[in-house]
Amino acid sequence: MRSLPENPIVSEEALLTGMVFNIQRYSTEDGPGIRTTIFLKGCPMSCPWCHNPEGMSPRPELVWYDVRCIAAQDCLKVCPQNALTLTPQGMLIDRDKCDACGLCEEACPAAALEVIGKRRTVDEVVEEALRDKVFYEKSNGGVTLSGGEPGLWFEFAMELMRRLGEEGVHVALDTCGGISSEKFRHLVEKADLILFDLKVMDEEKHAQYTGIELEKVLDNARWLGSTGKPVWVRTPIIPGYTDDEDNIRKIANFIKVNMPNLERYDLLAFNNTCVGKYERLNRIFAMADQPLLSRKEMERLKEVAIAEGLEPVHWSGATRLEKEA
Amino acid sequence: MEELEIVEPQELWSPSENLSPRVKRLRDEYWSWNQRDYFRNEVMPFTTGTSWDLVWSPVNWSDVPEIYPFIDPFFDSLIATARKVELPPDFWKHSLIKRRALFFQEVCRRYLPVKILEGELIVGGQFNTALSRCLNKREAKKWKRAFKRWRKHAEEINGVGMANTGAIPGHLIPDYPSVLRKGLEGIASELHQLKNRVKDEAHRDFLDSLIICCVAAKQLALRYAEEAERLAEEEKDRLRAEELMTIARICRKVPWEPADTFHEALQSLWFTHMLVMVAESYPGPGLSPGRIDQYLFSYYQKDLDEGRLTRDQAKELLECYWIKHNYAYDFQGRIGNNQGINSSFGQLITLGGIGPDGEDASNDLTWLILEVIEEMNLLEPKPNIRLHRKTPDRLLRRVAEMIAKAQGSPFLLNFDENSIEGLKWQGLPEERLWDYAPVGCLENTLQGDDRSGTVDLNINLAKSVEMVFTRGRDMETGKRIGPRTKDPRKFRTYEEFQEAFEAQLKALVDRSIAVSNESDALRARFEPTPYLSAIVGGCAESGRDITQGGARHNYITAEGVALATAADSLAAVKKLVFEEGKIKMGELVDALYSNFEGYEPLRQTLVNKAPKYGNDDDYADEIARYISRAWTLMVTDRVSPATGRKYRGGYLSWNYWIAYAPLTSATPDGRRRGDPLSNGVGPVDGADHKGPTAVALSVGKLDLKTAPNGDSHTISFSPSLLRDGEHIEKLMAFLRGYGEKGGTALQINVINPATLKAAQSDPDKYRNLLVRVTGYNAYFVMLGKAMQDEIIARESHRL
Repeated sequence: MRSLPENPIVSEEALLTGMVFNIQRYSTEDGPGIRTTIFLKGCPMSCPWCHNPEGMSPRPELVWYDVRCIAAQDCLKVCPQNALTLTPQGMLIDRDKCDACGLCEEACPAAALEVIGKRRTVDEVVEEALRDKVFYEKSNGGVTLSGGEPGLWFEFAMELMRRLGEEGVHVALDTCGGISSEKFRHLVEKADLILFDLKVMDEEKHAQYTGIELEKVLDNARWLGSTGKPVWVRTPIIPGYTDDEDNIRKIANFIKVNMPNLERYDLLAFNNTCVGKYERLNRIFAMADQPLLSRKEMERLKEVAIAEGLEPVHWSGATRLEKEA
Repeated sequence: MEELEIVEPQELWSPSENLSPRVKRLRDEYWSWNQRDYFRNEVMPFTTGTSWDLVWSPVNWSDVPEIYPFIDPFFDSLIATARKVELPPDFWKHSLIKRRALFFQEVCRRYLPVKILEGELIVGGQFNTALSRCLNKREAKKWKRAFKRWRKHAEEINGVGMANTGAIPGHLIPDYPSVLRKGLEGIASELHQLKNRVKDEAHRDFLDSLIICCVAAKQLALRYAEEAERLAEEEKDRLRAEELMTIARICRKVPWEPADTFHEALQSLWFTHMLVMVAESYPGPGLSPGRIDQYLFSYYQKDLDEGRLTRDQAKELLECYWIKHNYAYDFQGRIGNNQGINSSFGQLITLGGIGPDGEDASNDLTWLILEVIEEMNLLEPKPNIRLHRKTPDRLLRRVAEMIAKAQGSPFLLNFDENSIEGLKWQGLPEERLWDYAPVGCLENTLQGDDRSGTVDLNINLAKSVEMVFTRGRDMETGKRIGPRTKDPRKFRTYEEFQEAFEAQLKALVDRSIAVSNESDALRARFEPTPYLSAIVGGCAESGRDITQGGARHNYITAEGVALATAADSLAAVKKLVFEEGKIKMGELVDALYSNFEGYEPLRQTLVNKAPKYGNDDDYADEIARYISRAWTLMVTDRVSPATGRKYRGGYLSWNYWIAYAPLTSATPDGRRRGDPLSNGVGPVDGADHKGPTAVALSVGKLDLKTAPNGDSHTISFSPSLLRDGEHIEKLMAFLRGYGEKGGTALQINVINPATLKAAQSDPDKYRNLLVRVTGYNAYFVMLGKAMQDEIIARESHRL
C-alpha cells in the first residue's frame, strides 16, 4: 500500500492553486440539485474498487487515448524526457521519466494525449463554477468539491469555499473522512453540506482496504455528527468487501447513534466502468472481472439500513440485468 | 416540418393499453395503410380539362429540393390521372380568384369522396388534393414563362448548396376560433356586409369568391351528414346508429353555424382545418391549430357543467380528432408510409403559456390533452408546450415526466419570455404577443391573421465560409456565386477575413432573397387560395388574397442553416491562423481544396485546438453571435415587391444540414465535405462536451431576438439522467434556467439504445453524450467497449 503525503508540497506562489482533474457541469449525482463538481486530485485512501483511479495520486499524470491517436508522432519529437515510445501495441509511457510537463499534449493535433490534473487557481475555478449559477438557483443546487479527497488541497479548498460562499453558492464537500481532524473541522465549517463516506466498520479490513485507520474516519464522523451540519453518508457497495448485511447494519447503527444530522443515506452499487481508466494509467484494476450487484441485493441492503432506523435511504448505480439476477 | 431523425417511431411510441376499443381500432386502422383498400387519403388530382391545365405547382414544394428531379414526372402523372370537373356555366368569364373559388366549390359539392370510418366520431377523411390552378390559356403561358425562369434560378442556388426557396403553403394558424364562434355563416355574412360598403369591383369580386368558399365548406359538410344518415339506416347496432345520427346532426350544423358543444367544436375545427389542405393542395405541413386548450376550453367546460359530457367522453372525442390529423401522411403511403415517416408534418397544437394578464393560462383541458398525447403516441398533431416563469410546478413536472418516459421528444418546448421578446423586436403589436403560437416545427407567429412564410427561404450559412476561400466561386463546379473578394492568402488580419466573409454572406442573402421574391411573385400572381383568405384575418378588408399579402401580418422567414459550422470555422481561423500562427493560411486553403486528404494532422488541429461554439466558451460564442446578428440583420425588413411581405430570420434547419453537407466544401472547423452541417442553433455534432447547461448558455448568448421566427435547439439526455423523481426535478430546474438564459425553443431526446450503438461505432460524433454510469456521469464514448455494451444492454432492458 502506497502512503501519500497528506498535503503535497506546493510552492509559495502556487499556494492557492489546486490540482483539478475535472470540472463537471450538470453533475446530478453529487448532492442536491444541478451542480458543478470540482474534482481534486489525490486521495489518502487507496481502495481497490476506486472508480476514479485518476484521482488517487496528487500529481498530474499523462494518459494516451488509443482511439484518437493518428500516429502523427509530434509527441515523440517534443518530449524532453524521452518518455514516450510508440509501439504496434500502443503508446508506452515511461512513468519514471514522464513529469507530465504537457508538451506532448500541446503538440498532439488529435488530443490523444492528456495530462490529467492541471493546476488551477481559485479565480479560474470560481469563474467556471459561477457560470451555471442560474441553474443552481432554480434547482437548489450548487458546487461540490470532490476528488480524490479535496482535503489534500486544504488551503485551496478553503479559499474556494469561502469565495463561493460569498457568491451565495451552496457548497457540498465530498470527503472520505481520512484526513486530520483539524483540517477536517475547518473544511466542514466552510461547507453547507457534507457528503461523507463510511465504507467498512471492521478496523482491520478498513486499514487493509483503504490504508487508513478506521478510527480516524470515525472520529471525524462523530465530530461531524455533533455539528448539526447537513450530512449525506454514502457507502460504496462492493461485492466481497462492503456488501455484507452485517457491515451495513453496523454502519447504519453508527450513524443512528452518532450522526443525528443525517439527511440521507446512499448506497452506491459497485461498477466496473473504470477499467479503461486504469489501463490508461498503467495500473491494474483488481476488480475488473467482478460482476455487478443485483437490484435485489441492493434492495436488501437498503432494508437493512432502514431497519436500523435510518431514513431516507437511497440506492443507485449499475446493477445486473434482472434476468441474470 | 420536423427535423430528420433516424428513429423508428413505432418502436419509441407505443399506445396506451387504456385506449377505448373504438380508438384502438381507429388507431390501428390508420397504421394499416396496406390493408385499407376501402380508404386511402391519397392525392386526388382534379382538372378543368383544358390542355394547358396545371394541378400542381412546384413552387409550393421547393423547400424540398429532393423533388427537383421529379418536377416534370409529377406534373405529367398528376395531370394524366386528374379527374375532369364539370365546370359551372360562364366559368372562364370570371376572374382567376373566382374561378379558383368556384372550382373549389364544385370539388367540395360533388367530387371529393365522402367516407365515414367504422366507429369514428369526428368525420372528414379525404383531403389530399391536387386542384387545378384554373388558369386560362394566356395565364398558363405566363405562368410557364415565369416558372421556367424561377426554376432555373432555384435550381442554380440549390445545386451549389447556397439556399432553397419557394412559396410554401401551410405553416400558419388560420382564425379557427372565429369559425367556431361565428360559424362560416357568420363570416360570410360579415363578408356580405363588407361588400356592401366596398366600391371597388375587384375587391367586391374577391369578397364574392371568399363567400363561395364558405358555402362550399357547408356543402361538403352536408354530404357527410347525408352519408351518416345513410349509414345510420343500415346500421344494426343501435348505439352506433345513434352516434351516426348525432354525427349527421352536427355535420348539418357545423362549420356553417356556430358550434355550441365540445363535439361540435371539434368537428367544426376538423372540417375547417381539413379544407385548408384541400384548398391549398398541400397535405398539412405546418398548418397548425394553435392554442386549442384555450379556444376549445369554454365548449369543454360548458358541456361538463351542464352534464352533457364526461371527461372520458371528451377524451375519446379528442382522440378521434387526433387520428384524423395523421391521415395527412397517407399521401406518401406508396413510398412507404408506415416505415417511411422520419419527419413529422408539424400540424402543431400549443398548450399552456400565458394569458392576457401574463398569468399562467393552463386549464383542465390542457391536462386532458396531455393524457391524450401520452395515450395516443402519434406523430400528429404535434404538441408544443409553452413554458414561462409562472408555469406551475405541477404542470412542468408532468411535462418533464413525459419527456423522461418518451425517449424521443414528445414535445416542442417553447419559452414564452424569449419568444415574445423576438416577436416584439420584429414589430408585431405588443398587446397581442401573449397569444402567439408556433407552427410547423417551432416557428412563432400570431394566431389567425399572420402569414409568416416559415421555411420559405433556407440559407446555408456555411456556404459563405467556403466562398471566402474560393473568392466567390463554388469550389466543386468553379461557378461564380459571389463577389471576387481578396485572396485569402493575402489577409493580414482576422478582420480582413471577416470582412470577406460578410461580403460573401451578403451576396448569398441577396441572391437567395431575389429567388425567393420570384417564388412569392409567381404564387401571388397565379395561385390564389380564396378559402384560406376567408379564414385569415386581414384579407377581406385589404381585398387581397392571402397569397398576395392580404393577411394583417405578412412575413417571409429566412431560416439559417449551419450556424455553428460557420461559427466554429471562423473561430478556428481567428485562433489558429491569426492569433497563434499554428496554421498558415496557404496551408489551410490547400487543405480545404483537398478536402483534408493528406492533411489529417492539420484537420485534427482544427478540430481539437480551436474553441467551439456550444461549450459556454465566450470566444466561440461571441463569433456565433456575430454571425447570427450579421445575417439576420441583413434579411430583416427586406421586402418582397410583389406582396409587400417583409423578411425576418429564424433557425430551422429541417433536413438541410444533411442535404447541403455534400454541397458544402470542407470547412475550417475540420469538417469534411459530406459531414453533416450543424443543425438549428445547436453546436456541431460532438463539438460540445460540457453538458446541457453549457450549451444552453451558449445558445442564450446569440441574441436570438433578431431571429424572431424561433430557434431550433435539440439536446439529448440519457434516460438514466431522468430515472427518478429527484432527477425529474433537476430537469425541471434545467428548463426553468433555460427559460431565463437559453433560447426560444427546445426539444429533448432521451437517448435510445440505437443511438448509443451509433455512438459506439462513431465516437467522434457523440463526444457530448452523457450517460449516467453509477455515482457519476460519464461521457459514453470515453468508456471502454465492454462497459458501453453493458450500458446499451441496460438501456435496452429499460424499454
